[in-house]
Amino acid sequence: MFRALRSFARSPRIRLAALIGFSLLVIAGCAQATNDNPIPGFFPPPAATVQGEDTSGLYDLVFWIVAVIFVLVEGLIIYSVFRYRRKKGDQELPKQTHGYFPLEVAWTVIPIVLVLFVWVVALQVQDKVLAESPDPAVTVDVTGFQWQWTFDYKSLGLSYTGAGADGPTMVVPVGEPVHINEHSNDVIHSFYIRDFLFKRDVVPGRVNSFEFTVKEPGTYSGQCAEFCGLGHHQMFFTIKAVSPTDYQAWVKSEQAKAQATQAPPPSGATVIQLSASNTTAFDESTLTAPANKPFVIAFTNKEATGGPPHDVVIVGPDNKSITGMPLAQPGQTVNYSEPALPAGTYKFFCIVHPNMTGTLTVK
Amino acid sequence: MATTALPQTGTYSRAWLYDWLTTTDHKKIGIMYITSSFIFFLVGGVLALGIRTQLWVPHNTFLDPTLYNQVFTMHGTTMIFFFVMPMLAGFGNYAMPLMIGAADMAFPRINALAFWIIPFSGILLFSGFLLGGAANAGWTSYAPLSEAKYSGVGQDLWIMSILLNGVSSILGAINFLVTIFKLRAPGMTLLRMPIFVWTVLVTAVLLLFAVPVLASALVMLFIDRNYGGSFFDPASGGDAILWQNVFWFFGHPEVYIMILPAFGIISETTPVFSHKPIFGYKAFVLATIAIGVMSFGVWAHHMFATGAVYLPFFSLTTFLIGVPTGVKMFNWTFTMVRGKIQFTTAMLFTVAFLMSFLIGGLDGVFAAATPVDFAITDTYFIVSHIHYVLFGGSATAIMAGIYYWFPKMFGRKLDERIGKVHFVLWFVGTQMTFFSMHLLGLAGMPRRIEDYAPTAWEPLNQLETIGAFVIALSMAVFLWNVFVSARSGEIAEDDPWDANTLEWATTSPPPPHNFDSLPEIHSERPLFDLKHGGAHGGPPLPALAGDGGGAA
Repeated sequence: MFRALRSFARSPRIRLAALIGFSLLVIAGCAQATNDNPIPGFFPPPAATVQGEDTSGLYDLVFWIVAVIFVLVEGLIIYSVFRYRRKKGDQELPKQTHGYFPLEVAWTVIPIVLVLFVWVVALQVQDKVLAESPDPAVTVDVTGFQWQWTFDYKSLGLSYTGAGADGPTMVVPVGEPVHINEHSNDVIHSFYIRDFLFKRDVVPGRVNSFEFTVKEPGTYSGQCAEFCGLGHHQMFFTIKAVSPTDYQAWVKSEQAKAQATQAPPPSGATVIQLSASNTTAFDESTLTAPANKPFVIAFTNKEATGGPPHDVVIVGPDNKSITGMPLAQPGQTVNYSEPALPAGTYKFFCIVHPNMTGTLTVK
Repeated sequence: MATTALPQTGTYSRAWLYDWLTTTDHKKIGIMYITSSFIFFLVGGVLALGIRTQLWVPHNTFLDPTLYNQVFTMHGTTMIFFFVMPMLAGFGNYAMPLMIGAADMAFPRINALAFWIIPFSGILLFSGFLLGGAANAGWTSYAPLSEAKYSGVGQDLWIMSILLNGVSSILGAINFLVTIFKLRAPGMTLLRMPIFVWTVLVTAVLLLFAVPVLASALVMLFIDRNYGGSFFDPASGGDAILWQNVFWFFGHPEVYIMILPAFGIISETTPVFSHKPIFGYKAFVLATIAIGVMSFGVWAHHMFATGAVYLPFFSLTTFLIGVPTGVKMFNWTFTMVRGKIQFTTAMLFTVAFLMSFLIGGLDGVFAAATPVDFAITDTYFIVSHIHYVLFGGSATAIMAGIYYWFPKMFGRKLDERIGKVHFVLWFVGTQMTFFSMHLLGLAGMPRRIEDYAPTAWEPLNQLETIGAFVIALSMAVFLWNVFVSARSGEIAEDDPWDANTLEWATTSPPPPHNFDSLPEIHSERPLFDLKHGGAHGGPPLPALAGDGGGAA
């Protein structure tokens, strides 16, 4: 008995199985999800919207059905592999079974019933997730373009455009339906907020709409999910949910701010002029900036209308880069506010045309 | 009766290289298909390593965005159009005529043409890297991003290359169909054809219906880009979603084009190494046909998030197409049940296929439920899904096929011990690389991003990068195995696996005309019948061939 066990444990197949099992355990172990720390896990993060909660419930249902099938079938495969392996010296042909009709009917009919059930449940959830109320509290028109977002509160006269690590912020009230209309100026993008468990493509030539109702105040980050070119990976945005009273206060103060004139670049900061007229090189290949003081690069895209966009990315000696966003469209001047940099030699380039480079000396 | 001197039959001696360049022998063409596909697999694999290296740490500068977009576009395009499709066509070319007892394909010269298009269209595709940038709009080339305004000359090369590739597929498909319908040996009725031949048949039908649709989409895009057409760009009155409809009308049958022959390979290796017939032959054939038919009714499930799809219909068809695929899983598993499984490397890859493909299939259930799809589509969850189907599925089955048919092709077996090292690295690498992508997707990581913020995504990305290099190592082991075994591997007998089908009834490698004589065909296992006595439950012989041991 003991010897049999030992030879069993020594068999290469058992060792292989143990190795595989161990690796899977390690992977699973790496992936324990907790609520306060969003470490990737087998379930999506807790849903932040009412609609997302329905999706989350459906995910759980599908997950457990799939998990049971997974365990049963993988179990059957692994069992068969060990139970029915051919032993040394066994030269007898096994019984030649060609099939068993009732069993084959069973594993055709049961899955059909099961998927029809999931389909019906999914349709009901889908109707809730995609429902739109006749009189939403807030309507925001979202416009995606390479590689930024614009959020227009048309009825309030507010508009936000932004790019970079956080992108523009959309402030919405908690507990009230927010209606989104999507527009694209160029290619297809996708408006995706992980914690809402939802995304919808932003398609040129088509207005897509949907609604969400955020449950708790908080900040939820979003990102473009449809590949849209060079800056796809940095097409971020933020949704900030606040209480309805805070939302009203925010609207008032923003509207007041919008009345005031646009602020010029921070006074006192050095303004460095830079321009680009073609896709080969910047018009100036060397720039100088003061050390340890914030400065502004006033960048003008001198391309003719219809030409390509440009921007300025500064790369330090430590390879850390500061990306100038938004991109300057032809004819446009954009002020990039740069942080205080220590003295040294930096490189700059255009993210759209990485062959356009120059040297920035900070002293 | 006048007598005419017939030209001498048999082989003429020709220079080795000239012989291979001009051959119309389906076996040599099959081997060339497999070799060329394998080279493209290595190239696509290097591109994959580039992607994984870039994602090793946040804010990595290994590949800048310009190059990264080209690299992942070319990775997908290469793996799909230049590795999996022609690789399976290569197996079809090599094994199918042998399995039905034919002397060659129906149109040997067209066969050679179909093959030679592949490497040249591949060179055309890759020439973009030297001509100002390869295609960079993703392997799906969604308009308007693939329009002239947004992408350069690489996209035109991509269109031309895929068009040529499609011509090759159509020629191959017609050739397969005519061969199967016209050149079967006496007694080889349709329902006595090996399952592999059935999958080649259904695949050929899918290609014939799907590829012309892709060709039309490509031509429309080419007109848009070069002659001022406006099919797909809304800025000039076109429709961006039209591209997706036409592309995926090809693209979803394409998924089955890439998996059905893999199913076929598994349906040969499982019975042979379990020493039992396939469980439920007719159900299996029916399921293959059902998948083929249904695959034309599910395309819009790639587009659920566009808001331009009638969701209930495509959700239903997507759920239902899982059923015949599930039937096959059970058929394979119950072929092993009560068998006497011999763990050759080919069988290990077969089991790995079953275990991995199951995951890929079950992922599909999530995506079929539309609200869940809104959450997971275009994230790494979907990247995981396609790689479990195409890598854990198709590529693993291809490896099983190579270990299974290598002795027939070259007269020597691949080394089983090196093969097992290859298998372990491959299987572990696959799970390391692709499993945690599910979790990353649920945690919100979109596909096709070149950079990510330093977050909890980092460790899993690193696990995946290590996994990718483990797979690369397994390929090095495999190449070593081929190198060693081709020179000094164990000489293969005609029928080294105690197999069932006709290709094992001739010599290894077979003569140019394939067969000197054929056994009588009474079932889908003519060779088994010959060895073990009778098709209809005749007394089986007591002894199995081989040493009787499953151990390595």
